[in-house]
Amino acid sequence: MLRTQEYFLNFGPQHPSTHGVFQIILTLDGERIVKAEPVCGYLHRGIEKLAESRTYTQVIPYTDRMDYLAAMLQNLGYVQAVEKLMGIEVPERAEYLRIISGELSRLASHLLATGVYALDIGAFTGFLICFRERERVMDLLEELTGSRMTLSYARIGGVADDAPEGWLDKVKQLMDAMPDYIAEYNGLITGNEIFQARTKFVGQLKPETAINYSLSGPVLRASGVNYDLRKVRPYGIYDRFDFEVPLGENGDCFDRFYCRVREMQQSVRIIQQAIEQIKEVGGPVQAKVPKVLKPPKGDVYHEIESAKGIIGYYVVSDGSNKPYRVHVRRPSFINLGYLDEMLRGYLIADVVAILGSIDIVLGEVDC
Amino acid sequence: MFGQGLIKGLQITWKEFWTKKFTVQYPDEQHPVPERFHGRFVLDVDKCIACSLCANACPNKVINLKREKVGKKQFLTEYVMNIQYCMFCGLCVEACNKDALHFSQDFNMNQYFYRDIPLVLVRREAPAEPEEEQAGKTGEKPQRQAKAKKQAEPAAAEAAAGKDPGKEGQ
Repeated sequence: MLRTQEYFLNFGPQHPSTHGVFQIILTLDGERIVKAEPVCGYLHRGIEKLAESRTYTQVIPYTDRMDYLAAMLQNLGYVQAVEKLMGIEVPERAEYLRIISGELSRLASHLLATGVYALDIGAFTGFLICFRERERVMDLLEELTGSRMTLSYARIGGVADDAPEGWLDKVKQLMDAMPDYIAEYNGLITGNEIFQARTKFVGQLKPETAINYSLSGPVLRASGVNYDLRKVRPYGIYDRFDFEVPLGENGDCFDRFYCRVREMQQSVRIIQQAIEQIKEVGGPVQAKVPKVLKPPKGDVYHEIESAKGIIGYYVVSDGSNKPYRVHVRRPSFINLGYLDEMLRGYLIADVVAILGSIDIVLGEVDC
Repeated sequence: MFGQGLIKGLQITWKEFWTKKFTVQYPDEQHPVPERFHGRFVLDVDKCIACSLCANACPNKVINLKREKVGKKQFLTEYVMNIQYCMFCGLCVEACNKDALHFSQDFNMNQYFYRDIPLVLVRREAPAEPEEEQAGKTGEKPQRQAKAKKQAEPAAAEAAAGKDPGKEGQ
């Protein structure tokens, strides 16, 4: 009797479209995917364990290396968790600098996500156009912090350094030009019919499922769930800014992509407002904290909206100068949880489109 | 109409063709490196008091420093950074109270051999005390003499103050 046989296809870990060292073992029936088994851990460095033998300040550079595309937001989550534990008040100017550098980081991350997604689908020009602005964002961050990606800019009680002279004007200049650039991305990638044919109604995610799987970030919001921590539970000084939360309708790959593009517009708006407001705020950028940090016994959980979703830090203190335990809720890892069911029934060519739309970064998945 | 988006995309690409180039031909021309850039470390040896605050601030134990006591001051004899483990986070530079450790703008730190990677900022002999230097002795001997004298000095001072020097260290 004639019958077809299922077979395995190894996708990754050495594959440019997995965005790092990530493996999916696909079970295929012809070209249709029957089952997809994600295998992660190739980039595991044990950051959570390393944090136990470092002092509270020394953990900051390690948090950079999780989501290295938006390092400032990773710093911020950890630093705010420790501040919450110790009850440290952060100076006003530091808060603004955190917002500006954090949103610049988000911009850099979304620019990469947008560009690389175009590349995944097969549009090379879109990738280069996005990287042109990303380069300028990185140059600004480099000027502020000294590093391009692993910034280590946030400190417990403030930020490492004040903005150099003329830096804020440069940021403003880029932000004023940004809407035109975003219109370019829309013309080049979003409006492209081939791109739309590849992404629309592919990998659809229902809002209930997204909530049940605890997904977050643009992946959740593309399904139409209005949940952005910056709005729902404003941390820092996010309640002072006027911005919208972009939502999708269908929860498909296209919506997830377009959600990020519109989030960039909102980030630009936030930075513009922050630059306007920071002009009137002077003073120190670091609170008076003791040199040796010894938070009181206890634990704290703090979560912020990172570029990939909700990143949460659980810090346990035993009263010494080193954290007893640091656990990180990594959005990339949790967003990956639904990958198997999302891929089922689609073609091999859609694997890259769906995986790219989740926008994972392997440093964060494996931690 | 199908294909409108494609035409618009081509227009943007075509427009981009006429704009100024964003990239530079790297080895021949370079983008300026910002002032705060985290590059190769520079140590101002005269300012350094060998307090080892930088070594303690480092998350990865990159900095190895050795010191000797010359007279009343600590003297830095060796300052080696295992740069292969360095994360360039800048915590050491921030920890320095005397503003002795700096970043430079030099990012070209690659080496052909593993043994060349550690960044030796200081490696020198501790000087003997001024009066012994005049005797013209070099090498290890004056160091030992300095050490011996250093140990002898507090003991003699305490003996002069009427304390029993033998009790120390027991």
